[in-house]
Amino acid sequence: MLTAAIAICKKDLLMVFTHGAGLAQALLLGLLLVFLFSLSLNAGDRLSPQAAAAMFWLASAFCQVLVFNMLYAAEEAEKARLGLLMLPAPVQSVWLGKAAAGMVILAAAQCVFIPAVFVFLGQKMGEFWTLSLAGILIGDLGMAASGSLLGALSVGQSGRESLLSIVLFPLLTPLLLSVVKLASFGLEADPMLENALRWIGLAVAFDSIFLGAGLVLFPFVYNGED
Amino acid sequence: MLHSKIAISALLGGLSLAICQWLVFAWAPEEKVMGLVQKIFYMHLPLAWWGLVSFATACAASLLCLIRHDRKYDLFSASAVETGMLFCTLTLVTGSIWGRHSWGVWWTWDPRLTTALILWFIYAGCMALRSIPMPEHRKASLCSVVTIVGFLDVPLVFLSARLWRSIHPSVFAANGGGLDMQMAVTAIACVAAFFFIWLSLLLIRYRQLLLSARLDSIIFEQLFKAEQEPAPKTKKLYASE
Repeated sequence: MLTAAIAICKKDLLMVFTHGAGLAQALLLGLLLVFLFSLSLNAGDRLSPQAAAAMFWLASAFCQVLVFNMLYAAEEAEKARLGLLMLPAPVQSVWLGKAAAGMVILAAAQCVFIPAVFVFLGQKMGEFWTLSLAGILIGDLGMAASGSLLGALSVGQSGRESLLSIVLFPLLTPLLLSVVKLASFGLEADPMLENALRWIGLAVAFDSIFLGAGLVLFPFVYNGED
Repeated sequence: MLHSKIAISALLGGLSLAICQWLVFAWAPEEKVMGLVQKIFYMHLPLAWWGLVSFATACAASLLCLIRHDRKYDLFSASAVETGMLFCTLTLVTGSIWGRHSWGVWWTWDPRLTTALILWFIYAGCMALRSIPMPEHRKASLCSVVTIVGFLDVPLVFLSARLWRSIHPSVFAANGGGLDMQMAVTAIACVAAFFFIWLSLLLIRYRQLLLSARLDSIIFEQLFKAEQEPAPKTKKLYASE
């Protein structure tokens, strides 16, 4: 299963980073969100760390929708889904491979969003930036697991992006709340850290639930049915 | 069979709700600070609880649908989601009215309120997915997965309410909560009465969906038969034809 998942991940990454059309679209949308929100600030104003963290994760969430739609649409466009399903490996390897590829692409996009948040939203790095980094890792894992499971859901549907957003965003809320809080700890000069472990625990619980759900439920979502 | 179950459940629901009206407005004491508005709580609590039970039922039915590949479980899940949505909507509305009088605002970002709204959004998404035209078996699989995944978020909903500081009143806490004995008895009676109302609505909707599916299959059968049979000769309307 792992070998097949790594092969699918490599194939997707190669496809995205060589052509790059879908990635550029996701990056631009995220950057636009951060930039447009910065227009709400008056000259010299600084956005609160929590609001800036929320903008960063909102940009990441929209990027996630585009990334997973792009990853699953690739096979649909070439009518290669059946070929992927005939792999001599469990179908969950597709979920795992796409999740790994999605996580790498999302992390790459976030490498662009982070400087944008500092530049456009006037943020400064705090003492506890490692908490933000941990939040990004845990958050990306949860987004990849849920995005890969539900990205397959909109395969072959018209209005894929809007359908995925409607289904995915409410489910992501517990994770987003946790990672926004963790990100704000890294941006504040003197954060209240008493609940930091609870936020991390909540995000890890979300990741565990969606990793388990992905493994069990993916074959029902991704199969030969049209 | 289902028809008689609905009738019994609706009758019990009607009777118990009538008794509850007496308990709420005549027997239970009026709250000193909030006054008459506090009575909305006797509706808000059962709606919230049975809404949650409805989503749990939908999750169980969806699991059975995925395991047994039987359409009736999918229809039951759809009925439970719709009933749950109705109860969840009413919970949010009654909670909002309560909040206006208790906290002075129609809406506040209290974790429990927020997560109730998130649940509403999750199942609204599920209903939107169900409205998309696609083959029935595919729709059943996809909706089942979303219903299950949505319900998996519910523990996080409760965890968030307990972990984070909330201005939501604790009704039945471990140390006895904040309710007078008469109020607690009335609340429990209302929860029991709303069970029958919930069950009736769930079964009525399930029966409707079953009948609708049956009607669809009959129409398809008729259409199929009509296609198989040779077309009957029709009278010429005009002499020139």
